Amino acid sequence: MNDDGMPRPRHMRQGLSLKAFAWMLIIPVLAFFAIWNVVPFLWLLGLSFYRYYPTFGQPPKFLGLGNYISLMNDPNVWERIGTTFLFMVSAVGIETGLGLVLGFVFWSRRALWGRRLALTLLFSPMVLAPVAAGTFFRLIYDPLYGVVPYYIHMLFGVPKPNLLGNSHTAMWAVLATDVWMWTPFMTMMTIAALGAIPKSVLEAASVDRLKFWQRVRYVMWPYGKFILLLGVILRTIDAFKTYGLISAMTAGGPGNATDVLSITLYREGFVSFDMGTGSALALFTLFIAVAFTSVYLYFLKNRESEAVS
Amino acid sequence: MIPATLDPSPAEKPPANPPAVKGSRFKERVKDLSVWVIAAVFFLPELWIFLSAFKTPQQILAVPPRWIFRPTLQGLTAMAHEGAFWTYVFNSFFITFTAVFVAVGISFLAAYGLSRYRFRGGDFLMFVLLSIRMVPGSASVLPLFLMYTALGWTNTYAGIIAFDVMFSIPFAIWILKGYLDGVSPRFDESAQVDGFSRWRTMFRIILPQILPGIVAAFIFNMIFVWNESLFNAILGGNTVQTIPVALQSGLNTINGINWQYIASLSFVYTVPLMATIYFFQKYLLVGMTFGTVRGEI
Repeated sequence: MNDDGMPRPRHMRQGLSLKAFAWMLIIPVLAFFAIWNVVPFLWLLGLSFYRYYPTFGQPPKFLGLGNYISLMNDPNVWERIGTTFLFMVSAVGIETGLGLVLGFVFWSRRALWGRRLALTLLFSPMVLAPVAAGTFFRLIYDPLYGVVPYYIHMLFGVPKPNLLGNSHTAMWAVLATDVWMWTPFMTMMTIAALGAIPKSVLEAASVDRLKFWQRVRYVMWPYGKFILLLGVILRTIDAFKTYGLISAMTAGGPGNATDVLSITLYREGFVSFDMGTGSALALFTLFIAVAFTSVYLYFLKNRESEAVS
Repeated sequence: MIPATLDPSPAEKPPANPPAVKGSRFKERVKDLSVWVIAAVFFLPELWIFLSAFKTPQQILAVPPRWIFRPTLQGLTAMAHEGAFWTYVFNSFFITFTAVFVAVGISFLAAYGLSRYRFRGGDFLMFVLLSIRMVPGSASVLPLFLMYTALGWTNTYAGIIAFDVMFSIPFAIWILKGYLDGVSPRFDESAQVDGFSRWRTMFRIILPQILPGIVAAFIFNMIFVWNESLFNAILGGNTVQTIPVALQSGLNTINGINWQYIASLSFVYTVPLMATIYFFQKYLLVGMTFGTVRGEI
């Protein structure tokens, strides 16, 4: 019986066994993982049972599950989770829809003049630092000097709106910026997904004169779904933890209109210096994140196993 | 015997015309034009930032917005004369390249191990790696900050680079394992029958076949690390600042926000990335297929 369960000729067993070799290869990653993830995780877990303000110069006080209980009873926390999910679901939904359309458009026009440059321009928001984008969008949305309020005023004849200062519009203004930044990513994933379809299959479909939706259903979906779903996962992950953009644009305000979990966490840890509550909330967020990822991966795995390949 | 090629789809050249030519030439032109308009619309806000880099502070805040103006280099030269600017530039390049290089290197090793040998818990490791990416930075920065402070790692290049390596590993492993799974283990077997050692097999036979994946992993992580600012601001303190951190601190000056500085810095900082996506666009698109390209991108 071999260590990997595959029959192999005898002379291949000379030298390092596959098992030892493979272990050797993953050790550096495991070491990084242990130091930069396991240790901080345990640290976080430990802290979450204490009351600890490093700025007060008092030793940590053991609270048991106290921090968790007060979190569960805090209506604000549930509101923040609601805000986070509203942001995440709207962002991923709009970006996927738009990205699919744009992806189809660019994929179907492979002979477009200057396509590479056009795609570079389209992809450019993605590589802009979220901090830079967020900061500049604050100027773009500025009620006095901003470009957007100016054109809204000109086109609709309404007074210049203060988009980021109004708790009803702030979320949508931030969301619009996120859509601008990340729709290109979903476009890219759509182009990649369509690129996974073998040329011969596409040709066969066009010889058979399949209708557009038939092509989508029987040709594109089976080959492209893995990549597309992966794009949705990655985008969901990033939307869930959006920090730079929102912190630069509104820092969670006005009031708590755009106060998503990542902003709350930062405030607990580095503004209030409430390490105990911050850690408990961080672990709670971690739990949501892991739960989410597992659901997605389960879905992806089931899909993958029935994929044509 | 084994095609060692950088070109992801060597056999296929883009056709001179789209596969099915419908309608008149004029109609095609109009369609092309509208596709270009879409791309331009997405670029518009960024163009506004770039234009601002060549404006005077008064022009940046001008109402109505100025699209046509006499460009000035005042903002860019003022920035270049500021001593700290070049430190930021050096830090950004040095940290990004070192971290991503190390990360892709060790991720290749691990991805090869995970792809060729079925570890007990290997799938679980892949899952954990993806979950790590889902944790908000502001949740994990707190314990990391405490750990770094306790160990005296804050404000050091090594500390920041090591963090960025960990930050890049999950994605690199996911991309590279996808590519490696697409390379048949028969290559490994026949190489070893020919007397290649395991190391030589890995680097000489397998590596050349997944070069597009390596390039893709490198570029994607370069973009992530280049833009990372939260951890850098907190772990790097005042000594090891990269450009995005400088951008963030440029916001909190006594005289209000210096928009000219922000615009100039954003411009200088984004241009290398735009050049990257222009020149390596193929890898960006192909990389995301995780080695499953069969058709045309």
